[in-house]
Amino acid sequence: MTATTPRPGTRGHDHAGSFAGTPDDPRVQLDRDLGVFEPIPPYPPRTERESEFYTLRDGEMFLNMGPQHPSTHGVLRVVLKLDGEKVVDLDPVLGYLHRGVEKLCENADYHQAICYLDPLEYVSSLFCEWPGVMAFEKLLDVQVPRRAEYIRVLSGELNRVASHALFLGWMALDLGGLTPILWSFIERDEIVDMLASLTGQRMLFNYFRIGGVNGDLNHEFMSRLGDWMSKATEQIEAGNTLLNENEIFVRRMRGLGTIDSKTALRMAMSGPNLRATGVPFDVRRAHPYSIYPELDFDIPTRAEGDCLARYLLRMDEIKQSLRIIDQCLHQMPDGPVIAKLPRLLRPRPGRAYAGIEGPRGQYAAYVVSDGTDQPFRMRIHDPSFIHLQAVGVMMPGHLVADTMAVMASLDPIMGGVDK
Amino acid sequence: MALTKDPDRLGTGPEDATAVSSDATAQPSLPAVRPSDALTTPIVVRNTLWQAADPAAYDGGQPADITHLAEFGASELGRRDDARWSGVLEVIPTKADYVLDLIRMNSLWPLLSGLACCAIEMMSAATSKNDMDRWGMFPFRASPRQADVLIVAGTLTTKMAGPLVRLWEQMPEPKWCVALGDCTCSGGRYKRSYSTVEGIDRVMPVDVYVPGCPPRPEGLIYGMMKLQQLVKDRRGHWPERAIGPTVPEQV
Amino acid sequence: MDRPLKVRLERRFADQLTGPVRQRHDETEIRIGPGDVIQVITALHDEPEFRFEFLADLAGVDTGEIMQVVYHLWSTTTTDWLRVIADGLSRDDPRVPSVTFMWKGAEWMEREAYDMFGITFEGNRDLRRIYLPPDYQSFPLRKDFFLPDDAARSPGGGVRPMERTHTPRNAPPTATVRRAGA
Repeated sequence: MTATTPRPGTRGHDHAGSFAGTPDDPRVQLDRDLGVFEPIPPYPPRTERESEFYTLRDGEMFLNMGPQHPSTHGVLRVVLKLDGEKVVDLDPVLGYLHRGVEKLCENADYHQAICYLDPLEYVSSLFCEWPGVMAFEKLLDVQVPRRAEYIRVLSGELNRVASHALFLGWMALDLGGLTPILWSFIERDEIVDMLASLTGQRMLFNYFRIGGVNGDLNHEFMSRLGDWMSKATEQIEAGNTLLNENEIFVRRMRGLGTIDSKTALRMAMSGPNLRATGVPFDVRRAHPYSIYPELDFDIPTRAEGDCLARYLLRMDEIKQSLRIIDQCLHQMPDGPVIAKLPRLLRPRPGRAYAGIEGPRGQYAAYVVSDGTDQPFRMRIHDPSFIHLQAVGVMMPGHLVADTMAVMASLDPIMGGVDK
Repeated sequence: MALTKDPDRLGTGPEDATAVSSDATAQPSLPAVRPSDALTTPIVVRNTLWQAADPAAYDGGQPADITHLAEFGASELGRRDDARWSGVLEVIPTKADYVLDLIRMNSLWPLLSGLACCAIEMMSAATSKNDMDRWGMFPFRASPRQADVLIVAGTLTTKMAGPLVRLWEQMPEPKWCVALGDCTCSGGRYKRSYSTVEGIDRVMPVDVYVPGCPPRPEGLIYGMMKLQQLVKDRRGHWPERAIGPTVPEQV
Repeated sequence: MDRPLKVRLERRFADQLTGPVRQRHDETEIRIGPGDVIQVITALHDEPEFRFEFLADLAGVDTGEIMQVVYHLWSTTTTDWLRVIADGLSRDDPRVPSVTFMWKGAEWMEREAYDMFGITFEGNRDLRRIYLPPDYQSFPLRKDFFLPDDAARSPGGGVRPMERTHTPRNAPPTATVRRAGA
């Protein structure tokens, strides 16, 4: 596809000062005949899997759940192969939100690269920045002050609660319930306004810095946090009771999208999706980072591996997060909140990998440094990307209406999937 | 009577028909536009930059046929105070159009088209704490055929540009477009990327730009209120709109 | 930093390692050639003294001179992350065996490495572009892909002269940028 100036025979603006015909003309020509998206079936099939998928047997049809869809959690295109109402196979098509973050990070400083990491999983931004700054700190051999670590954990767990609250709302919305999403957004708005008083932003916080955090706790944040903590448990219980005792919700989710632990490990899944199948793998305990060794919390695990297990597991995790927040507040040490670093950072040439436990799974960053002030290669590993592959494993045999439920239970965020 | 003017000649300029001053009852058209009129008369720009996929869409490119009421209003049959507005009636509203615009402005139905992070703030603006339902914008329609406003929330990539323009084309007139967030206004933090479109005004006409990364829900609500003002003043309802930065002549 | 792990790795994979086993902070790194990938990964996955059953990440790296594929693994037997670098892929035709036989979840990660670098994973049943449109011509994360000059091929940007201020106008199209550390 090329960007061209307007086609001959068309007139530009009638206004003076327009850019028509000049080299600065910003108009782009979309060549729709080329097909920005792939038709069904793509002719000719390029790979084995494509030719297997795009061959219809008797009675089957394709249905395209296009990039604009009420509940695809963003722009995801899923081509379903249906036999009546049952899904036989599906082929997710990604890339509708691919922004080239890894390439942009290579052209930016180490400090600037953190800004590109935020909008990946925009609902849990702090967990996207965290592995990036941890990897940079490993390359620079920087010791993060303890107070900064506690603040990171505190704000991170708040973000985890907000993210899981949103998951609850979306899960119910994809099954048709319209009330829980409103309740989730109330909760999320409270938490996020709290974090705004701490970080300055409601959503893409840009709070973590290399060597610490951007600013210390302030009075407004602490008072809001105190108010919220006093009523957080009841709010969450109310949301839970609304759904857990709803027969439609439970019967639809039970036994849906089941995956066993061996398959989950084969699909490289992590986080709540893996723990719901019975594997107690949590990066905070398996590979402790930050100050998690000093905190006392459990790792909830469930064995069934279906949507209901994933949902209940995330609700358990919210309770554990509240425990962690409580302990952080009680054990908060004094001290600086950021290590002293020069503005121009030149880490040693080498490689560093940092993986953390986010609300969706293992977020990780792999940074290759060549001694200059820009990262040579910034690789971001995102759990939503991995988990979307599992939809193809879980879905066959279920009905079309359950596609959205299964996808919602895996909790993908398309910003992370597409980077 | 209204269609006697050549549509190709519409636009601002000395010999333009919109230059007729509104309180001159029986005057020939004045040679110049009065400066005070310049900001209130709508700017009509013929669209030659963007074509619908189907040549028969939008009446095959003819100007909008909204003259039924306008003709009646202009004729001697209409006993109204603003019968003196007998100039170019495509752009000067009648009382019925005024009421229609009030109706439209208070029930703008957005299309559910959240692409990225700004979609969360759009949802936040629609939910209980910052309620957009107060202004009638609660039903986020899933189908573009039923929607009025396309709130583009999130970065537009080149792969998604085709489907998004197709969505825009599927929306029936009158329709408006709100660019939410820095990525849709100008490309935002992804301006140097190889796969993003730097601002949706490269591919579709935009009415309201709401900058921010992401803008607060209150910011989106302010943008929607500006859109309502546009609708009310009929500055949003142009049958032909241009794509790209439009620079009016007097500015 | 798990020193017994280093000893075990050096003992078991003495023939396949192309460099010393490095450890820093909580990561252990081994380098192998692309032909040994299947053997080493299978050994790391199955043998009871290693049992690296969890694939954490699969990435491609373009050094400017060669390409690498980097696997990150985790095991219950050690607290370290293990990094396996399949080193020495040529930049003209990088090929490496696929690990989808072991982890089906690696399929999309390999597709992404193919999309961004052009690395062909032999044995991946679905090696096509995942992020970019299927008719996209170049591989963006290669070191000779300059933002935004190559981006001029996409309608998204980089057409106007004022947008090309990011790279010098006289940069050669196939310039090799920096060399990575050893």
